[in-house]
Amino acid sequence: MDDLNVKNPPTLKQFVPTPPRPPRQSKSGIFGTIRQRCFNSIGNSVLTLCVIAVLFYLVKHVLDWAVFNAVFIADNRRQCMDISPDGACWAGVISWFNGLIYGRFPVDEQWRVNVGVLLGLVWLLPLMSKRIPLRNVILLSWIGLYPFVGAYLFLGGRFGAELGWVHGVMTCLALAFLTIIYANWILSVWDKKGLNELFVPLVSRFVERRIHLLSFVAAWLLIALVMAFALNQVSLEPVAIERWGGLFLTFIIASFAITMAIPIGVVLALGRRSKLPVIHWLSMTVIELVRSVPLITVLFMAVTLLPIFLPADVEFNKLAQVLVAVCIFAGAYMAENIRGGLQAIPKGQYEAAATLGLGYLHTMALIILPQALRMMIPNIMTSFISLLKDTTLVSIIGLFDIMLMARNIANDKDWVGMHTEPLVMISVLFFLFCYSMSQYSLTLEKRLKVDR
Amino acid sequence: MMTSSGHLATKNTTNTAIKIDKLNKWYGDHHVLKDVSLDISEGEIMVVCGPSGSGKSTLIRSLNHLEDYQEGVVSVFGQPLSRDRQSHKIIHQTMGMVFQNFNLFPHLTVLQNCTLGLTWLRKMSERDADKMAMRLLDRVGIAQLATRYPGQLSGGQQQRVAISRSLAMEPKIMLFDEPTSALDPEMVKEVLDVMIDLAKTGMTMVCVTHEMQFAKQVADRVVFMADGEIIEVGPPEQVLVNPQWDRTKEFLQHVL
Repeated sequence: MDDLNVKNPPTLKQFVPTPPRPPRQSKSGIFGTIRQRCFNSIGNSVLTLCVIAVLFYLVKHVLDWAVFNAVFIADNRRQCMDISPDGACWAGVISWFNGLIYGRFPVDEQWRVNVGVLLGLVWLLPLMSKRIPLRNVILLSWIGLYPFVGAYLFLGGRFGAELGWVHGVMTCLALAFLTIIYANWILSVWDKKGLNELFVPLVSRFVERRIHLLSFVAAWLLIALVMAFALNQVSLEPVAIERWGGLFLTFIIASFAITMAIPIGVVLALGRRSKLPVIHWLSMTVIELVRSVPLITVLFMAVTLLPIFLPADVEFNKLAQVLVAVCIFAGAYMAENIRGGLQAIPKGQYEAAATLGLGYLHTMALIILPQALRMMIPNIMTSFISLLKDTTLVSIIGLFDIMLMARNIANDKDWVGMHTEPLVMISVLFFLFCYSMSQYSLTLEKRLKVDR
Repeated sequence: MMTSSGHLATKNTTNTAIKIDKLNKWYGDHHVLKDVSLDISEGEIMVVCGPSGSGKSTLIRSLNHLEDYQEGVVSVFGQPLSRDRQSHKIIHQTMGMVFQNFNLFPHLTVLQNCTLGLTWLRKMSERDADKMAMRLLDRVGIAQLATRYPGQLSGGQQQRVAISRSLAMEPKIMLFDEPTSALDPEMVKEVLDVMIDLAKTGMTMVCVTHEMQFAKQVADRVVFMADGEIIEVGPPEQVLVNPQWDRTKEFLQHVL
């Protein structure tokens, strides 16, 4: 190391690497593999046969019940029994299917639920495309603006009347924002300028700085105005919150909890690590209190205790109370997940950020949290999945979510005592959702891996 | 504001960049820095060496307040630093630092690592920031890697990114905390070359390093520390070739 420019002495022998050997070829095909693994000895052969027999027995019974002996068309449970006494009676689930999905939402207005959910998904679709700039803004707009559109569609009423004009304005802004996102996306496919860029020449006449931001605002407001005139013409049938239910309600509670869990969790996690004693102890109390109590207790407390603390003239509906409770519950669990991620960030990252001159908020928002959240994707997704399943508990305090709707089927006079089939149906639905969530988390993990 | 030492810097500078006055630091009962006083002139290349545990890293990290110290004053360009907002501002405007473990931000590309401070703190437009960062990356010879992530680079390349990340903030003083200690031997040279280039531009540099060859080649003065005290200060030919103290001789025998 004492000379920086070490020259190779010419007398050294030239190094010649050994050429690599080809890998060993496997000659056996799929049958060979099975024979090698499952029938390589007498004991293993017997075991394999036993397992096959048990599996066959199980699968046959399940299929017999669920498919071959099942009844798909019947008017009531008695008919089901008459046709096939030991098969599933899917006819009941089919006739109640609408109720399982929409709860007691009026049948004529159910298209609004479809449109609302679809709009929500459509809003998130651009996040998949790499062409779109500022995808974080789209996500934020979804969190901040979409609820207004959703609430307008689901609750209905004359525009701006039942829900108040603030809500109306926000709905217009939200729809205008969505329009701009999609218009710009489509325009960008043809390499055209975005809608907001149309206003640049006009805006640059009046101001000199922040031209792009202001022209975006101008385009946004103009489209919102158009939206307001259009929406003024339509009047939707009002639907009371009490009539919301089924999978739709489950989705609302779960997606609300999932979106709020991260911000609440971040605030609580940072608060718990704060050096200011008041903030530290406050966050710690919230986290520990909520975590040491079952969700069902939190829900009951929200419904019975919350009204006591509020002034008498403020009246929340049950759904709002439940949403608050679930959000705090989810946030407290999320806070511990995020804290785990924060602890895994090496001290050097803080030091590097500090030497660049980044303050606390910049350091957290740009350096620490992006890494901590990415590192914790598997844990966060696990929390989300259990949250989705936990929302079925709201049926206990009398919200008609998918669980309560399913149990209601057994009370219908036509389908008295039918418990198994609706629950099987729900299990399949939940499996589909949870499994796709966990698969999505895997792809997300690969895409956002911190240390590439 | 003249340098107080008799062994003057070879460069003709009159301004003191950093003045360290009787710095004292304890970890519990352990006295890590004992009355350390040192003046560093503007444009001077100061190499700090010494056995491990001698407090050289603590000293350099005290300069930009990554470490607390209990007694003493550090002044930067005549401004005594304290713990207030104003001092932090001075530190961030004048000093950049390069770490032993690079400490690049792994979730950002090489280019984003360099432009982060420019766009968020300087409020520079993205295009200008990119241009400036690319110029710096070009200077350290890794412009072609701008879109890669730190995890895809070798140690030497990462350290060069770290240097350009610091340089992007246009510091007047660069602090190097053992910049080559975590590198494989064959990568040490590429980082040292960048540092030598930087030294030629007249940057004030404080380097904690074991690279004695580098010290001999570019240092204006070498500080030898042991047990939290400065034992010898002087031009490299004096401290490294002709040491006056037994501790220095012993250390140099181990290193060279």
